Amino acid sequence: MAGLGPTYGRGAMTNHWVDLKNADVIMINGSNAAENHPASMTWIHKAREERKAQLIVVDPRFTRSAAKADLYVPIRSGTDIAFYGGLIKYIIDNDLYHKEYVAVYTNAANLIHPDYKGPEDLEGLFSGFAEGKYADRSTWSYQTDADGKALRDETLQDPQCVFQIMKRHYARYDLDTVSAITGCPKDKLEAAYKLYASTGAPDRVGTILYAMGQTQHTVGSQNVRAMGIVQLLLGNIGRPGGGVNALRGESNVQGSTDQGVLAHLLPGYLAVPTSADTDLTKYIENKTKPGGPWSGGYWSNGPKFITSLLKAWWGEHATADNGFAYDYLPKVESAANHYWIALFEAMYAGKIKGCWIMGQNPAVGGPNARLERKALEKLDWLVVQDLFQTETVAFWRAPGVNPADVKTEVFVLPAADAMEKEGSVVTSGRLIQWRTKVAEAPGEALPDHDILDRVYRKLKELYQADPGPFPEPILHLNWDYSGGPTHPLVGELIDITKVAREMNGYAVEDLVDDKGTVLAKKGDLFSTFARLTADGKTACGCWIYAGYYAPLPDGEGNTLPAAKRRGQKDPGGLGLFPYWGFAWPANRRIIYNRCSADPSGKPWPGGRELIWWDPNADSGTKDAEGKPILGKWVGYDVPDFVPTKAPDAPGGKDPFIMRTDGKGGLFAAMNEGPLPTHYEPVESPVDNLLYPKQPINPVVKVWKTDEGQAVGDNWGTPDKFPIVATTYRLVEHWQAGGMSRWLEWLAEAQPDMFIEMSEELAQEKGIKNGDMVKVSSARGSIKAVAIVTKRFKPFRVNGKTVHQVGMPWHFGWGGGQGEEYEALAKGDAANDLTPHVGDGNTAIPEYKAFLVNVEKA
Amino acid sequence: MSVRLKGTDAAIQIRWIPKYTTLERFLHWVHTATFIPLALTGFVLFAPFLAPLAQGEAGTLIRLIHRIAAIFFGGVPIIYALAQPRRMLMNLKEFLSFSKYDLLWLKGAIPYYIFGRHSDMPPQPRFNTGERATAVVMVLGTITFGITGLAMWFLKGIMSPFLFQLAVFFHDLMFIITFVMFMVHFYLAVVHPMMWQSLVSMRYGVVSESYARAHHAMWYYGEKRAKQMWEELKARGGH
Amino acid sequence: MAERLAMYIDTSKCMGCRGCQVACKQWNDRQGYVPGVRETHNVGTYENPLKLDPQTWTRIKFREYDDGQRFQWLFLKEGCMHCTNAVCVDVCPTGALKYGPYGIITFERELCNGCGYCSQFCPFHVPQLEVINRLTGEAKSSKCVFCQDRTTNGLKPACVKTCPAGALDWGDREAMIAKAEARVQELKAERGFPKANVYGKTQLGGLGRIYVLTAPPEAYDLPADPKYPAMSTLWQKILQPLGGIAFGATILGTITAFFIARRNVHMEEVE
Repeated sequence: MAGLGPTYGRGAMTNHWVDLKNADVIMINGSNAAENHPASMTWIHKAREERKAQLIVVDPRFTRSAAKADLYVPIRSGTDIAFYGGLIKYIIDNDLYHKEYVAVYTNAANLIHPDYKGPEDLEGLFSGFAEGKYADRSTWSYQTDADGKALRDETLQDPQCVFQIMKRHYARYDLDTVSAITGCPKDKLEAAYKLYASTGAPDRVGTILYAMGQTQHTVGSQNVRAMGIVQLLLGNIGRPGGGVNALRGESNVQGSTDQGVLAHLLPGYLAVPTSADTDLTKYIENKTKPGGPWSGGYWSNGPKFITSLLKAWWGEHATADNGFAYDYLPKVESAANHYWIALFEAMYAGKIKGCWIMGQNPAVGGPNARLERKALEKLDWLVVQDLFQTETVAFWRAPGVNPADVKTEVFVLPAADAMEKEGSVVTSGRLIQWRTKVAEAPGEALPDHDILDRVYRKLKELYQADPGPFPEPILHLNWDYSGGPTHPLVGELIDITKVAREMNGYAVEDLVDDKGTVLAKKGDLFSTFARLTADGKTACGCWIYAGYYAPLPDGEGNTLPAAKRRGQKDPGGLGLFPYWGFAWPANRRIIYNRCSADPSGKPWPGGRELIWWDPNADSGTKDAEGKPILGKWVGYDVPDFVPTKAPDAPGGKDPFIMRTDGKGGLFAAMNEGPLPTHYEPVESPVDNLLYPKQPINPVVKVWKTDEGQAVGDNWGTPDKFPIVATTYRLVEHWQAGGMSRWLEWLAEAQPDMFIEMSEELAQEKGIKNGDMVKVSSARGSIKAVAIVTKRFKPFRVNGKTVHQVGMPWHFGWGGGQGEEYEALAKGDAANDLTPHVGDGNTAIPEYKAFLVNVEKA
Repeated sequence: MSVRLKGTDAAIQIRWIPKYTTLERFLHWVHTATFIPLALTGFVLFAPFLAPLAQGEAGTLIRLIHRIAAIFFGGVPIIYALAQPRRMLMNLKEFLSFSKYDLLWLKGAIPYYIFGRHSDMPPQPRFNTGERATAVVMVLGTITFGITGLAMWFLKGIMSPFLFQLAVFFHDLMFIITFVMFMVHFYLAVVHPMMWQSLVSMRYGVVSESYARAHHAMWYYGEKRAKQMWEELKARGGH
Repeated sequence: MAERLAMYIDTSKCMGCRGCQVACKQWNDRQGYVPGVRETHNVGTYENPLKLDPQTWTRIKFREYDDGQRFQWLFLKEGCMHCTNAVCVDVCPTGALKYGPYGIITFERELCNGCGYCSQFCPFHVPQLEVINRLTGEAKSSKCVFCQDRTTNGLKPACVKTCPAGALDWGDREAMIAKAEARVQELKAERGFPKANVYGKTQLGGLGRIYVLTAPPEAYDLPADPKYPAMSTLWQKILQPLGGIAFGATILGTITAFFIARRNVHMEEVE
């Protein structure tokens, strides 16, 4: 996810689920789509049936997805950048990139600072590295002219242009090297490269599906960047059947990230203010200054978004005089201090007094779970909002824990599940669908939004009674969602549609343009974020959602809130279904869709016309003489572009409107560098073949809390733990098991914790299929049933044999006590083994590659 | 035993010879009383046209009756073996000896039983050919029913389906054979006018001397003498 | 209205997600893992339950198959085959199992008396006896009935409706066969599955399930050439009629013999 932001401008699945049917080649890498997103197979099968598409699956293990693939490519966990680097080299060396697309739509032609140095020059580092990070990124910037415009060599020959830098960067990722790193046989690599690179032809499109298998690494963001680069080189972005498609790991996690439920975000992907953003003016200035994230592209409208957000939250108390209540927002030193691992490290150190957990089971799902469970013991109080007595609810009763020793006061709030509440859910494809409630939650179990509402109202009461030094952020909140249905036990619930309206955005007062036309009356819902202003006249809880709850026609004669629509029409037959629900932004189904047409505005060949420039269409505006101005983008999707900007107008060939330069970022800065570089996982069985002096991601924080203790940040080495391990999901279970291990049909289908290993490894260890085995890492050991299978094979890495094993991470010891409360399916938690280290940008834990040893139990 | 003809002073002397012990008679009737419900309930399961009777709870009850009766049916030889083992062995030995006289008996059976012609019936031991055949069939039947029945009852799902299929087949085959045998046995032992003493023997355990002399010459006279008498009869050219 | 409907099962599209297994249990009120009542455990495979049972009318079999040319992980949806020559119907003494509408082998639980013959004669070992009391013999059979309550009302079976991969279909049997044959051709010509085959077209007179397989049937532990059990033929088609004849002949024979004997036997000659 995070890798897509710098590359394209937004961190979101570029296409959507149904669109998979339009692909010629589908590559699944770091995802087991058939297992964990089974609905995707509906569309993948359609692509194969209707256009004879080919499916490639790249995975250390022969998964359920691999079972459906035309080509299966085994690679060792943690070597995706080597794989993609090899692909990028193959594409460039064999001239398979989509030339016009790359030259015009990406920053391939841009010239980089003359002092830029890359890993090939600095043995694994980029220029500007000091004290564990790249604070000085000036050498990564574009060369600019006197006006600040980036210099470009359209012939792509200049040695300092991005294209040539990239070519040098990946020069050593030849088939032999990639095979030695990944452990994948050369012929399989070449077959995959050849097939996938065939989508570089202008009339062919390929899509890459990825999920946690790519992101849950210390180089996760760079893995995604690598896919982003490949898709730009092959001209697959912004086109039907293309894209870099993040298959999100939870229902509505897309909605969560859209709402800013991440430590560094506010809703709509606005940044959480840091201590450097002292007031609203400074906040805006820090972003809009040259080189800042709001200095160009559509983000230059950022001030409107933040102001509208503040207005939504503090209503009448947010005015131009007080910087729209900006001071009420909490500030952070660095958001990274509040990411998951850092949070639990702080908890473990006793710095956190209380914790409120909603619908999560960190006792099972958190990395280095033994440390995290111990961290929970340090809390004064813990609230858990969940459906079942999960292992987190009952963490104080885990095996080996004496409840008398745990002083944490634990509160359990029963929550309603997804079917028991009304509201919207956002799919990976950014599609927002409103859902009705179809079942009653038992007893006093309430939807999360009602629990939060009650908490707020109680907090308000308490602050009113005893204000303290700074009660305004609470007392001044524009929070009144009353008027919902009545719960028989609990009383009045909130009216969720009021929340929806606030998120959609509305006019605070009548909006009148400079000609006196009333654009919106007070209280009107906006149908587009283009209406937002920075003067406090608009309120919007989530600018990217603007329009999702506004009334829109559904193509069948009804007009209703956009997210509630279920219109069946599909103009163009590409599976866009524009009348069904609402896709942010602005109902654009395929983002960056300017790329679906060539630079002159005509669709690329191949029969997937999406939008195109019609010079004779009425743009809807009139010129000074009152004659209609002609020319606009037309087609089957909403243009992710200014609809009236001609191809030859300034910016008419800059499809990536959320990037400051409007071009696709082949070269784009992230914390560990502007280009993905192969680094080994923090726990690796081998040296880094390419950069032995810089084996792992240089900017990751390797924690050492209580190193050497029974519970602590312990690190394993290949002499004691020679086997690569990964964790993954099963279709039968859900995440840390809270939603599935208590259900009898699912518990029956997968009742026990297991570990999959190759026949070769099993033979070496004297393990038979079905035996109980002990799996240990530096952080702990667990027991699991051995599944000895042909679907794992040893890898030949750097000339030596490296075994890999895999485990599902759904299992926990059972949670509540007694048959009424404990889980039906129980087992040891795989995360007792995983390390407390995360990606260099998102800090998402490296669940997917670490070291273990295995023996018969 | 003497029977005085009423109104006269003629007396008929009947001397009775014991043939069956009390236990044997009791067990025989238990065997009969269980065989009939077994056959009837089995028949309901066996015959497709009786399917309506075999359905649902009624069907489950029929199967239960079959099993309860089977326990008693199977108990008969066990109790006999435990209570009168020497007698049982003696009887078994007699049941299992067949000779050329049995072929001759079979040849003569139809004219004898249907038309009453005595002349061609060879001497018989305590149990004639028919009785021995019935006994053998019933013993084999009991064993077969026991093994196949118990297997079907307790080993279904444990033994291989093919063995179960064989068990069903042989259980049903034996049913046909034993029930045919039962019908013939019933007819001859109970219904047939000439064989009224059969029922007496199984009810009271005795046959009359004249009956024994006529029908079980080898038992009455002894084997050697009886065979001698038969040869003389044949030499004389029949009766 | 089609005369015979069948279920199309394309194992090349199936991902073994068990959606069908769960949908069947949901529609037919079957149990899963119930502590103290029905507990199953992983014995070294994804497959669970390991067999069809009274609470599991369909399930997925997992098999790894390597013929040296191409490794495959096979997923097979197992359940009643709804045969044309259904031995279970022939051996059922109560008529609980019948040839129902559209070729569905229907099952009426109220009529079943628990004898278990169906479970022992089926060449696919499908019907499962739910033993309530082994001593008294109280039991009921159970098996997939193609959701007869749904399918006789124009709906598709629950499993077909739920399959996200589009691996399942339901319709006129001839059409399902044609679809399967076309798919097998495609798999052979375009997807590199030279051993792809249709299973269910001719076996036992034709099955109600039409499978597209990507490997030989034995790889899925399916009988390659399932035969109508000879013992059933012997029992139902030979022994039973012969038995009837034997009984009839014996009864007639004895009655006739009685009337003849009565006339010919002179009681004064009887000892």
